[in-house]
Amino acid sequence: MSTALDTTATPSPRPSAVSARQLAASTATRRARAARLKLWIGTVCTLLVVVPIALAQLLPLPGPNDQDLGKRRLAPFTEGHLFGTDQLGRDVLSRILHGGQVSLTIGVLAVVVSGVIGIVAGAAAGYFGGWVDSVVSRLLEAQMSLPLLMMLLLVVALFDPSVPVITSVIAVAQWPEVARLTRSLVLVEREKPYVAAARMLGLHRIQILVRHILPNIIRQATLVVLLLLAQAVLLESALSYLGAGPQRPFATWGRIISDGQDYITTSWWLVTLPGLVIVLLVVGVNLIGDGLRDRSRVRRTATEGN
Amino acid sequence: MVRYLARRLGQSLLTIFLTVSTVFVLVRLAPGDPATSYAGPNATTEDLARIREQFGLDDSVFAQYLIFLRDLFTGDLGTSYSFHAPAFDVVMDRLPYTTTLAISAIALTTVVAVPLGVWMARRADTNREIGANIVTIAGQSMPDFWSGVMLLTAFAVLIPVLPSSGFTTWGGLVLPTITVAILQMALISRLVRREMAGALASPYITVARSRGVSERALTWRYGLRNSAIPVLTALGTRFAALLNGVVVVEVVFGWPGVGSLVVRALETRDYPLIQATVLVTAALAILVQLLIDLAYPLLDPRVRLGKAA
Repeated sequence: MSTALDTTATPSPRPSAVSARQLAASTATRRARAARLKLWIGTVCTLLVVVPIALAQLLPLPGPNDQDLGKRRLAPFTEGHLFGTDQLGRDVLSRILHGGQVSLTIGVLAVVVSGVIGIVAGAAAGYFGGWVDSVVSRLLEAQMSLPLLMMLLLVVALFDPSVPVITSVIAVAQWPEVARLTRSLVLVEREKPYVAAARMLGLHRIQILVRHILPNIIRQATLVVLLLLAQAVLLESALSYLGAGPQRPFATWGRIISDGQDYITTSWWLVTLPGLVIVLLVVGVNLIGDGLRDRSRVRRTATEGN
Repeated sequence: MVRYLARRLGQSLLTIFLTVSTVFVLVRLAPGDPATSYAGPNATTEDLARIREQFGLDDSVFAQYLIFLRDLFTGDLGTSYSFHAPAFDVVMDRLPYTTTLAISAIALTTVVAVPLGVWMARRADTNREIGANIVTIAGQSMPDFWSGVMLLTAFAVLIPVLPSSGFTTWGGLVLPTITVAILQMALISRLVRREMAGALASPYITVARSRGVSERALTWRYGLRNSAIPVLTALGTRFAALLNGVVVVEVVFGWPGVGSLVVRALETRDYPLIQATVLVTAALAILVQLLIDLAYPLLDPRVRLGKAA
């Protein structure tokens, strides 16, 4: 790839024979640039969705359930309805933003719960080994082989589809991913010299795990949790699309789309716009997660020197 | 090898058994009553009692479970309440549709995602590759029900070139396949990129290059062959997951597969049908997984099954 360096050239003000152009074309620089780009685009996409959702109550919008049968299915940008109105004359933008509050709350809560369960279970399995590891690993395997969405639908059909039930169902669906990663990280970490040193100092095993090992892996583990947030939002919207989401009066994203589907030929915005908002948010979160992971990878390879 | 196979089969049977048992108990914890949805709104209390009696729902859950187990070992999964036919047969009638969709989606994924991933690995972190990378992230961020409805609107309503629902002609397969494959292509191409980038950076590639092996051979014969195992595992796992039900896409396209069947079975509280669906799909998914594991030694002679590393 690289061209031979011209060492006979006149001395340049740069302290190195590596030209600025070569530096810019180097793998590490390009990688760092890609990571930075992803982070920026991701942050912009996410904020574009999250900020209006957070401010939904403050924005001058009609209520999400305010019907006006005289103004049914107005196209976007008419009569002050930026995203148009739906089949009952409700403001689509307002419904999307208020629905987003429900979806985001469920997503964040689910991810926090699954993150905590996953990190605790994974760390215990990795550090203690033995029967703890066997139990956790078997649980992981069993759950991975289950038909996920089918099980979610089943549980939601059994207990009523309230916000706590849906949150915990998504959390339970997602903990294996965190647990598996944490377990593998702890397995590597516990063989490092500082753990042996801590043990020599007479620290208790739990102390070593919590005070010494966890801080070293928590960053990587939380990165996965961020990616799971994107998945949680998608899962919630799929559940509510199938009618197993939070019930009325909540206007969830999945239901806005499934309701609007019947009018798709005449009113394209009822399905297209809510979908685009979901995509924008999930792309944003995924890009941030991806960018952060790439960046930590660039740093790691830089310090390890390969 | 034989011992390995025996152990794996044993584990699989145990997993399937536990899954079905869990489902059995879960559906019966439900507040809903199959008799009410079966009898309709005009049923009298006597009707309901008679139906419950007929379905054997008056026994305790434990007694029902024992009967279920006894029947299971004679190969009887019970009679579907709503189809009035053996639940197993109902599921098997639907299975070919789900399998067809899963196979075509995985085929499309392989054809698109592997070359795309290889290209991304070779051009890693160039402007175009970052663009492609962001597109794959978008692909994995799309809710499938939304992309399904959008495709449906575009190609069945606005430009009516393809049928909108059901499976009457092969054209009906196109849109569901694409919808399912969007996510799979995004995931697999990113995996191929990661694996290939690792393979292309390894010492044997440098050695081969210094010995004058062409870049094309380096990529396809050396790089891809050595990335084959994780990629194939992922393709297999995705395929198994698709067999477990492409619930959402089947509902969007009115596809007569197992996924839409399970939604209906849940709505009508059709216990035998729910159990049969879960049993069949879980068994199938586990079988596919086993076949993939068995295929490893064929791809990579270094892999020996059943021996600790």
